[in-house]
Amino acid sequence: MSSREADRKPRVKPGGTVATRRGIGASAGRIGTLAGTTFLQLLRMKTFYFLLIFSILVVVASTFNVLHHTGEQHLKLLKDVALGAMSLFTSLFAIVATALLIPSDLEDRTLQTILAKPVPRYDYILGKLCGVILVVAVSVVVMDLIFGAVLYAREEMMVAAELAGATESGGFAEEDLAVLEERLRSQGLNWNLQNAVAAIFLKSCVICAVTMLVSTIASTSLFTIIVGFVIFFIGHLQSVARDYWMHALDAGLWKRLFSGLVALIFPDFQIFNVVDGVVAGEVIPLGAMTRMAGLTILYVMVYSMVAYLVFADREL
Amino acid sequence: MSEKKTAAVSIDGLTKVFRGALARESVVAVKELSLEVAPGEVYGLIGPNGSGKSTTMKVLLGLIRPSAGRTAIFGVDSTRVESRRQVGFLPENPYFYRHLTGRETLQFYGRLCGVGRGALRARIDELLELVELGHAARRPLRGYSKGMLQRIGLAQALVQEPRLVVLDEPTAGVDPAGSRKIRDLILELKQRGIAVVLSSHLLEQVQEVCDRVGIIFNGSMVQEGRLEDLISIENQTEIILKNASADLLERIRDLAEGADAEFVKMGQPRTTLESLFLRETEGREE
Repeated sequence: MSSREADRKPRVKPGGTVATRRGIGASAGRIGTLAGTTFLQLLRMKTFYFLLIFSILVVVASTFNVLHHTGEQHLKLLKDVALGAMSLFTSLFAIVATALLIPSDLEDRTLQTILAKPVPRYDYILGKLCGVILVVAVSVVVMDLIFGAVLYAREEMMVAAELAGATESGGFAEEDLAVLEERLRSQGLNWNLQNAVAAIFLKSCVICAVTMLVSTIASTSLFTIIVGFVIFFIGHLQSVARDYWMHALDAGLWKRLFSGLVALIFPDFQIFNVVDGVVAGEVIPLGAMTRMAGLTILYVMVYSMVAYLVFADREL
Repeated sequence: MSEKKTAAVSIDGLTKVFRGALARESVVAVKELSLEVAPGEVYGLIGPNGSGKSTTMKVLLGLIRPSAGRTAIFGVDSTRVESRRQVGFLPENPYFYRHLTGRETLQFYGRLCGVGRGALRARIDELLELVELGHAARRPLRGYSKGMLQRIGLAQALVQEPRLVVLDEPTAGVDPAGSRKIRDLILELKQRGIAVVLSSHLLEQVQEVCDRVGIIFNGSMVQEGRLEDLISIENQTEIILKNASADLLERIRDLAEGADAEFVKMGQPRTTLESLFLRETEGREE
């Protein structure tokens, strides 16, 4: 009988009396302790170095204007590069950071000392997941602040330069200057950008959860990272498989079965793909963001539950 | 059953089979093993490599499931998480989070056990003093020596004041001085009435600290009992004299031979190499 089952069923003593069941439920304190230590672990592993690379990239993208774009085009390009880099870095970081956790605990036997304490395995999984999501959240906030600061600075410079140029050249009425400024500012710092940043964060939460699930099966970080990347790529094609499964009714049984399986197992990362729209100036409605957040919670819950079910029976 | 009579450890007919993946053969690690450890008792589980000692300990701690049989800690089935409330565990060659300091490590494990902040602070100070690591409490574990890691490991095992401590090769790879310190700590636990299950290859150390031992071979218990019963030679008597003259020793020999007893051996007792090493090195440590 697995320990999970044993926790669920009352045990009968050899004498026939039912043992008093004083089970251990999930504890916010224990999960918080594990999350805090995981955060500290990733922090002290100097994993935040990638933020430096991001900063350099954003600053470089904001400085060089080799194609002599207009102010509007330049700001658009800066947003495109920064949000693209933020999305890529966050996704990669989520996979690698999550992949380092359970396999390394398993390898150096830290896991044995943790689970030899009164720590249910679901607390351990949730603690690790919360810790890595916290690190990702901090990274996203820092990148957002850097990006926001650079974009704001460039926006102000571009507005000042373009208005000065227009004024000097003459022929621009007050209204024309206001339209020019408004057009420039629409490509600058605004709240709609935060929707794109939020989508990047939500996507990374799903990546963390699915990578955590892989790491409960894997025995090495390398295997987890490789499978994590494979899932990451398949996740971007999941919607294609789902459409095929739902609409290609005349396709062969195996093809439909395979596409159905892909649609069922893998997360759909396309739902988080709002960056291009935001860069183009498209406003993401609140309803869409709420739906995205709801799906993220659902994905994280399902993958965490499966991770626990796998991990509960794992022999250490 | 009253609390006092409940065994600290109860293993009943434990069998553990590791199923081979694909075409690999299954391995029977432990076969119908039964033993009991009383509260406050120090029990030594000895046996060659691969005999099933660590597997038995892991089943006891709920880290792996038994294939058959039952294990319990103070009457609570080991498969239940709450059985771990009363037990502390030090695995062989432990590697804790190396980014944490000694104090942070104890805080981490204490919080996992639900020890309150105030009580935990006092407990950590007490444990650091017990394992003589107060001076290194603020250093990250990556800078700890092997012996220091074993001692901080022992401290984490004791953080929630368990009534049972399971030690798997606690002195593996530790130098004689560190090994001696760990042995002294085990004796201290014994004095405090904490039951200890100890697995070690250092038989001399097991002999020094254990009340009872079990010898496990190929997964089965081949011998078990009180240490003095197992190792004493019933038909021989040892007399140790100090400052005895040659004449006195000769008279003792004559007396023995005249009384139908066989005189087996006479000579100067020897100290152990460990004692010699400690005597020669301890004074020079500073």
